[in-house]
Amino acid sequence: MPLDYQPILLPNPGRTTAVALTEYEQRGGYDGLRNALRKKPEDVTTMVKDAGLKGRGGAGFPTGMKWSFVPKGPGPKYLVVNADESEPGTFKDRDLMEIEPHTLIEGIAIGSYAIGCELAFVYIRGEYTVAGDRLRDAVDEAKKAGLLGAPSKLTRADGTPFSLDIVVFLGAGAYICGEETALIESLEGNRAMPRSRPPFPAVAGLYMKPTVVNNVETLANVPYILAKGVDAYKAIGNPPNNTGPKIYCLSGHVKRPGNYELPLGKVTLRQFIEEYGGGTPSGRPVKGVLPAGVSAPIIPAANLDAVLDYDGIKGAGSMLGSASFIVMDDSVDMLWAATRMVEFFRHESCGKCTPCREGTMWLEKTLYRMMEGKGKESDLETLQFVSKQIAGNTLCALGDFATSPVTSSIKHYRDDYLAHLVRIEKKSDKKGDKAAE
Amino acid sequence: MSLSVTTRDAITAEVAKYPYKKTALLPSLKLAQKEKGWLSTETLAEVADLIGLPHSHAIELATFYAMLFTEKVAPVRVEYCLQLPCALVGAEDALAKTAKLLDVQLHGERGTRHGHTKDHLIELHGTVECYGACHRAPMCRVGDDYKENLKTDDDLQRLVADLKTRAAAAKSQAH
Ligand SMILES: Cc1cc2nc3c(=O)[nH]c(=O)nc-3n(C[C@H](O)[C@H](O)[C@H](O)COP(=O)(O)O)c2cc1C
Ligand code: SF4
Ligand code: FES
Repeated sequence: MPLDYQPILLPNPGRTTAVALTEYEQRGGYDGLRNALRKKPEDVTTMVKDAGLKGRGGAGFPTGMKWSFVPKGPGPKYLVVNADESEPGTFKDRDLMEIEPHTLIEGIAIGSYAIGCELAFVYIRGEYTVAGDRLRDAVDEAKKAGLLGAPSKLTRADGTPFSLDIVVFLGAGAYICGEETALIESLEGNRAMPRSRPPFPAVAGLYMKPTVVNNVETLANVPYILAKGVDAYKAIGNPPNNTGPKIYCLSGHVKRPGNYELPLGKVTLRQFIEEYGGGTPSGRPVKGVLPAGVSAPIIPAANLDAVLDYDGIKGAGSMLGSASFIVMDDSVDMLWAATRMVEFFRHESCGKCTPCREGTMWLEKTLYRMMEGKGKESDLETLQFVSKQIAGNTLCALGDFATSPVTSSIKHYRDDYLAHLVRIEKKSDKKGDKAAE
Repeated sequence: MSLSVTTRDAITAEVAKYPYKKTALLPSLKLAQKEKGWLSTETLAEVADLIGLPHSHAIELATFYAMLFTEKVAPVRVEYCLQLPCALVGAEDALAKTAKLLDVQLHGERGTRHGHTKDHLIELHGTVECYGACHRAPMCRVGDDYKENLKTDDDLQRLVADLKTRAAAAKSQAH
C-alpha cells in the first residue's frame, strides 16, 4: 500500500503548468520568507541546521552547516543554485523549476538572507529552456509584488530593507558544470573545469568571494522549515540522519516512471519499484538498480529490501546521491549497461586530470573490445586496475563516478562479462594456436 | 556579415547584468549563435570585441561547450538520447526507425551516432548525454524543443512530419 503522505515540494503530482504567485501565496507561500526576516540571519541558519536538511545535489552535506561556513562581515557574498541536473536518470529539479518556481525562489531568498547575499544566481543546464523561462517569469512576478528587488518591499529583523536580485543563467551543455567549482568557473565565463580545493567556495567561490552552492531541491526544502518549524520538518522522515521529504526519480524498466516525493526512510526499494513504479513492464524479475543515476554502484536484486534513505542505500553498498533510480530487469546484459555508462563519463570528462581523461578512454576501449567479442579474461583485471588508478586520484568526483558502473557490475554480474568471453575465448584460442604453430 | 542590431543590443544588455563582464560571454555567444546558426571565427571575434574581451576567450568557450557550434550545422538538428534509462526502453530502436523514415545513413560507434538527410536540412544524432526526460523515454531534442514519449510508430511518424515541416520552412527562409 502506498504511504499516506501529502507531498510538500511537488504538491500537485501530474501537473505540467507553473504555479503562479497568487496560487502559491494562497497555500501559504512566502510565509517562510516572512518568518525568516523576523529572525536574525544566524538563527535562520541554526533552524536549517537543526532541521537536519542535507544537500540533495548528491553529496548530502548538511545545508545549515554549509551556510555557517560563510564568513560574516562586509563585502559581497553569493548564493549559487545548482540547477545543472545532468546526471542520467535525474529529472526532479526540472519539475521543481517548471511547476513550482516560487518554492525555489522562496528558498533562495531565505538562504540569501541567512548568508548575507544580495545577488543570487541560478545556473540551469542549457537544455532546460522551459524551466529557465518559467523561473525568469516567476522572478519577475516576485519582483513586481515587492518580494524581491534591490531593495524589495520587505523589511529585515534589523529594520533595514531586504534586498535581493536573482539572475537566471543558462549553461551550454556540459555535465561537469554540475560540479560546484566547475559551475563557478562556468559562471565566471571560463571553461567548466573544476578548481582544486582549498580554498573552498565558502571562502573564495564566485569572483573569489564567499559563495554557497546549493542544489534546487535542497533550497526547495527550506521554506517549509521556516514556515512550519523545525519539529514539523523533522516529523517527516527518519531522524536523526534522514529528515524531510525527498523526490525520487524512477526510470528504466518500470511501468510508471516519474518523480515520486516521499518522506526519507519510509519505503523499501522493493516497495518503491513495485507499488509506485508498478513493477517491470515485462513482468521479469529485477536484476539490479542504480540508485544515484550512473554515478554510484549498482544494487543487486538481493538488496532490494534496503530502505530509501541515506543510510539504507549506503547499507546496500551504494549511495543515495541524486536519488535517481534506474531499474533493470533480468534481460539486461550488465556489460552492455556498464559500457553505455562509461561512454557517458568518457564523453563528459573535462580532461583536466590525466587519470580521468585517459582512464575513462581506456575503460571505454576495453569494454568496446569485450562487446565486440574480442575480449580476454585478463580484460577484467585491466578494467579493475584502470578503475583503481582513477578512483581517488582525480580533482573532482567524476573520476570516482566513472569507475563505479564497472567495478560494481564486475562484482555482482561477473557472469555477464564471462558470457562474452566464452564465445570469444574459443576464437582467440584458435588464434593462439595459430600463433603458436 | 556582422550581427544584427537586435543581437548586439541584447549582448550589451547581458553585459550590464553581471558584476563582471566575462560572465556575459557565454550567454552572448548563445545569442550570436541563435542569429547565425553557428559561431564562425568572425562572429566569435565580434562578440568578444563587443564585450571587450580577447578573442581567445570566446574561442575557448566555443570549443568547450557542447551546445556551441564552431562549424555549420543543419537548420534542423535532432538529438536522440541513448543513455541507459532511454536505451533500456527503446531509444536505439526509435533512432533507427527515425533514420529509416528520413532515409538517413547513421555513422559512428555505439552511443554516439550521426547522419543527415541528402539535402543537408536535417541532422540526426544519437548521444550519450541525458536530457532529463528519462521518464518520458524515448525522447529527442529538436533544436531547443523536447519531443518525448516517442513510443509507437505513430509517434515517430508525427515526429518525422514535424521535422520535414521545419526543414521546408528553413529552406524557404534561405531563399
Ligand atoms: C561530476 C559532478 C556532477 C555534479 N552534478 C550536479 C548536479 O547536476 N546538480 C547538483 O545539484 N549537484 C551536482 N553535483 C554536486 C555538486 O558538486 C555540489 O555538491 C552540490 O551542488 C551541492 O549542493 P547541495 O549541498 O545542496 O547538495 C555534482 C558533482 C560532481 C562531482
Ligand atoms: S576528474 Fe575528470 S572531470 Fe573531474 S576535473 Fe578531473 S578530468 Fe575533469
Ligand atoms: S537517459 Fe535519456 S533523457 Fe535521461
